[in-house]
Amino acid sequence: MIDLGTRLGPLKLKTPFMAASGTFGFGEEFASLMDLRDLGAIVINGLTLMPRKGNPPPRIVETPAGMLNAIGLQNPGLDVFLSRELPRLQKSQVKLIANIAGDTEEEYVILARELCTAGDVLIAIELNVSCPNVQRGGIFFGTTPSTLSSLVEKVRRVCTLPLIVKLTPNVTDITEIARAAEDGGADILSLVNTFQGMVIDTVSRRPFLGNKIGGLSGPAMRPLAVRLVYETYASVEIPLIGMGGIEALDDALQFFMAGAAAVAIGSASFSDPLTILRLTGELKNYLQRMNLPSLEGIIGVAHG
Amino acid sequence: MLLCKAKVLRVEKLAIDCFSLLLEEKNLATGSLPGHFLHIRVGEGPAPFLRRPFSIAGTSPGEGFLQIIFRLRGAGTRILSRACPGDMLDCLGPLGNGFRPRENCKISVLLGGGVGVAPLLFLARRLKEVRERVVLYYGVSRGLEKIPVQNFLPPGVEINLATEDGSGGFAGLVTDLHRSHLQRGLRPEEVFACGPRPMMQRVAGMYRDKKVDMQFSFEERMACGVGACHGCPIEIKVGDSDTVFKRVCRDGPVFNPYEVVW
Ligand SMILES: Cc1cc2nc3c(=O)[nH]c(=O)nc-3n(C[C@H](O)[C@H](O)[C@H](O)COP(=O)(O)OP(=O)(O)OC[C@H]3O[C@@H](n4cnc5c(N)ncnc54)[C@H](O)[C@@H]3O)c2cc1C
Ligand SMILES: Cc1cc2nc3c(=O)[nH]c(=O)nc-3n(C[C@H](O)[C@H](O)[C@H](O)COP(=O)(O)O)c2cc1C
Ligand code: FES
Repeated sequence: MIDLGTRLGPLKLKTPFMAASGTFGFGEEFASLMDLRDLGAIVINGLTLMPRKGNPPPRIVETPAGMLNAIGLQNPGLDVFLSRELPRLQKSQVKLIANIAGDTEEEYVILARELCTAGDVLIAIELNVSCPNVQRGGIFFGTTPSTLSSLVEKVRRVCTLPLIVKLTPNVTDITEIARAAEDGGADILSLVNTFQGMVIDTVSRRPFLGNKIGGLSGPAMRPLAVRLVYETYASVEIPLIGMGGIEALDDALQFFMAGAAAVAIGSASFSDPLTILRLTGELKNYLQRMNLPSLEGIIGVAHG
Repeated sequence: MLLCKAKVLRVEKLAIDCFSLLLEEKNLATGSLPGHFLHIRVGEGPAPFLRRPFSIAGTSPGEGFLQIIFRLRGAGTRILSRACPGDMLDCLGPLGNGFRPRENCKISVLLGGGVGVAPLLFLARRLKEVRERVVLYYGVSRGLEKIPVQNFLPPGVEINLATEDGSGGFAGLVTDLHRSHLQRGLRPEEVFACGPRPMMQRVAGMYRDKKVDMQFSFEERMACGVGACHGCPIEIKVGDSDTVFKRVCRDGPVFNPYEVVW
């Protein structure tokens, strides 16, 4: 009997495949195509305390083997989420992880506290300290170790659910940031968010995106992300969720072998919304073929 | 919304850089309404990375056929233009909110700019069944780009052509042609448009004081196509001074032009 389950510290998932924040909405958009309960978890779109209007168009542009996005965290804000979205999601029995971003430490604390008691459809909180597309907050907290550990500590005090900290790759040394998050009390790290990039429209001679700068995702970033997971695995004790350009089983296996105990699929869902379910089936066959009873046998094996 | 493989039946060149693609997929054909679009995966591997959105230009539900009409633009449309009969195309659809024609109405006007005429051909066919007059305005910049719209329309739809290079029909902008008809007494009760933004903006301007139902179809870059990623915003007015970004793919692509911030 193959067990696809995975354990990330206090968080247990039915499968090691999650939908990455910002690419799967609140899950419902894809509900008519699949049974969402077959997903390990869905990390829902980034939430902020107050509603966010988002960036002006265009917000996306295709790039070689990937895309840039500059959505700017468009979301209805905590109150509307709690009153209008959550009651509906509550009935679905899907495993959801809330992704939260704030301008100040207080905002993160309020978001975490309110969401932890909002209902059992939420199984963890992911701190987005890595959004490259907003003016304040977001990435600011994710690039300075002391700022990050102070933030994580404050959120930790009110957070009764497993606490994930999502790291940005846009730093000189990710292991230093990773250790700061661990010191602050994070249960799990997820990595990585998008790489900052730019496309210039040579006809208008201006940056293409409304926000000028965007975040690169997709296969183009995969080798960069695998390396960051590999290095982070060697420098912290807490479990990792890996992501960046996963489309095929071999891509996911690279992240597992680099040290991730689960992976998230983001922009691959745009071209194939069934990517996560396909990978789930393929992983099962792979483990069977390799005579492995569970995923544990391959996590981190690349470190020798 | 379905995720399915549609069989390519025919690829036809309609004009310079302009093609039609006839597809067979029973459920798509029966579920699609004018204004809906398909999100098509044009390649197998990582390139092109994103799907491409195309309006549905017509269906024959009985046979399970549906059609799109597209213009060559970049890598994605080039691959599509080389599709062969028998190929299976990965389609997500039908997507979006279509046109919503009025309950009681005698005269409908449709204005299409370039390949923007595609969704209007589908709409005109449906409207002809229930309207006294369906008047289509079709504008292209060069006569070479003109697709034979009459082949996609039932008899009785009035076709008014405008070419900017003067090679056929009215010489000039399709909006000027339409304006001259308004001055001569044409009184539509509803107006549908799809085309380049400047053209649609001119149409909206022409009707500013009139109580006419207006529905225009918009385009924006898309990733998911289903409302999950907020990648396809259009700025919409709320109240007197505020605006919000709605999603072209999920809340549109059809919007009331007076609610749009141009
Ligand atoms: C709702 C909707 C309906 C459409 N219907 C039609 C139609 O019936 N016929 C037709 O010819 N075209 C239509 N378009 C435009 C069509 O999607 C683009 O021409 C096509 O995506 C270009 O792809 P490409 O790879 O050839 O061009 P490239 O320029 O190489 O594409 C690069 C990227 O930009 C995007 N892109 C480029 N132009 C547009 C555009 N105008 N709108 C949205 N995304 C764009 C592509 O999807 C891709 O992600 C529609 C667009 C939308 C949003
Ligand atoms: C359109 C889009 C929106 C995103 N929004 C968020 C977000 O709100 N919060 C967040 O933490 N990450 C966000 N991300 C980053 C993804 O969750 C993921 O880290 C990144 O896309 C890399 O994975 P991928 O290559 O599989 O897409 C977004 C990515 C995309 C493409
Ligand atoms: S393309 Fe994702 S919301 Fe419209």
